[in-house]
Amino acid sequence: MLFLTRTLPLVIAFSCGVLAIAIYYVPHSAAQGMEEKLTLWLRIVAAFAYFLGLYSLLNLHWNRIRQHQAGWGYSVVAAVGFGLMFFFAVINDGDGPFAPQAKQGAYQWMFDNVQVACASTMFSLLAFFISSAAYRTFRARSPEATILLVAAVVVMLGRVPIGAYISDLIPEAMLWLLSVPNLAAKRGILLGVSLGAIGTALRIIFGIERSYLGGGEE
Amino acid sequence: MKALDIDRRIIFIFVFLGVAIPLMVDFTLPIKPTPPVIAAYDAFEKVAAEKPGSTILLSFSYGASTAPEMQPMARAVLRHCFRLGFKVVAICLWPDGVGLAESVLAEVAEEMGKKEDVDYAFLGYKPGTIAVILNMGQDLHTAFPVDSKGVSLAQLPVTKNIHPLTDFSFVFDFAAGDSIEFWWIPYGQEKYRFPFAGGCTAVMAPDLFPFLQSGQMLGMLGGLAGAAEYETLIGHPGQATEGMRPQSVTHLIIIAFIILGNGMYFLSRRSSGQATG
Repeated sequence: MLFLTRTLPLVIAFSCGVLAIAIYYVPHSAAQGMEEKLTLWLRIVAAFAYFLGLYSLLNLHWNRIRQHQAGWGYSVVAAVGFGLMFFFAVINDGDGPFAPQAKQGAYQWMFDNVQVACASTMFSLLAFFISSAAYRTFRARSPEATILLVAAVVVMLGRVPIGAYISDLIPEAMLWLLSVPNLAAKRGILLGVSLGAIGTALRIIFGIERSYLGGGEE
Repeated sequence: MKALDIDRRIIFIFVFLGVAIPLMVDFTLPIKPTPPVIAAYDAFEKVAAEKPGSTILLSFSYGASTAPEMQPMARAVLRHCFRLGFKVVAICLWPDGVGLAESVLAEVAEEMGKKEDVDYAFLGYKPGTIAVILNMGQDLHTAFPVDSKGVSLAQLPVTKNIHPLTDFSFVFDFAAGDSIEFWWIPYGQEKYRFPFAGGCTAVMAPDLFPFLQSGQMLGMLGGLAGAAEYETLIGHPGQATEGMRPQSVTHLIIIAFIILGNGMYFLSRRSSGQATG
């Protein structure tokens, strides 16, 4: 059993990891052919993940409705919304489920007038909360906080036309902030994240990191 | 300290009015394009001059929530591409980008008298993100065997001669997530080496400056402001330009509240210092 639960997954992880790295860099046609096959499999697995997501979503909302948990009415809306969109996708403007997607019809109408409107509204609400948060948090309590405050004001003004209307120096200062200190910090973070990801990948490939095997006792 | 605690609903009302009034009152603000946007515009112009009538790829990696910010950008870039005479192939790497991409393509193509399958093709959505890009790097026809209407890519005039990603003279990604920095650059541009630029939401733009400096991105449109600058460059003001009015006023309101907050903070510190002293 130890072979099946530990050794075999480690061998598979090692072989696939080394193979995936090798074929990425080897330009030989055999390696490229294998990369094509592997990426196709990856896409198929990714497509099946949608079924898993769908099951998880519906199961979560069904349990909330069944147990009358707080806010279960919203779960009804989510389930009905899914049912309607699914129904219209199957009807597909009268062309049936396997015909190419219709460009008009109820599905597209629901997408344009419900999903886009609701999702955009949710995202737009951020403007209100950011304004309130900016008022409360941007305080010149220390030299560092003052630098952050001044940089934020310059970027906020420089990103909109009114900044250039006040002074041409504001957009230039904004660009300098983004192209020099921001760039240096972002590059440092990006390098750190990438090195961390490489380190974690190598730990998994060489079997040092085994938490993905489950069990928890190790 | 109590004076500092303004009810947040008061701030919300000011922000609401800052958005609503400039939308109703028409006034113009001069829009000055910034270097990253000019660089993206110049990159398209350069490719059009070097390879006239060539085919470019537009990738729609955004969804419904960011449509107000990204749709004007997509519209402006597409107008420029059609005006330069490019053949356009559009794909989606986000599932809910399909409806948005279709509507932008149909709208701009009709406006500019372009025909589907001849001047542009829409290939729809495929799951797999980086795997799709790697597949396209080898052969577009493997990644997308048929277009969104089920027609084989080998039969479409726009795509029949396009195979690896390098057959495209330019690739542009509209991103609302990490598709530029974690999908297109490491698995597309770095591996297969093609001219690449992108447009993204305003919050993401600072993250992409390292790629501009390294030359991995030839240009960048950041948020609605970037779209407005692009509309100015192509001489076709649209929704993004209109959106600069409320955005400018709202930014001023936020700055005014920050100044007010700091003023009251210093006053309260002074008064508490006097009380303890």
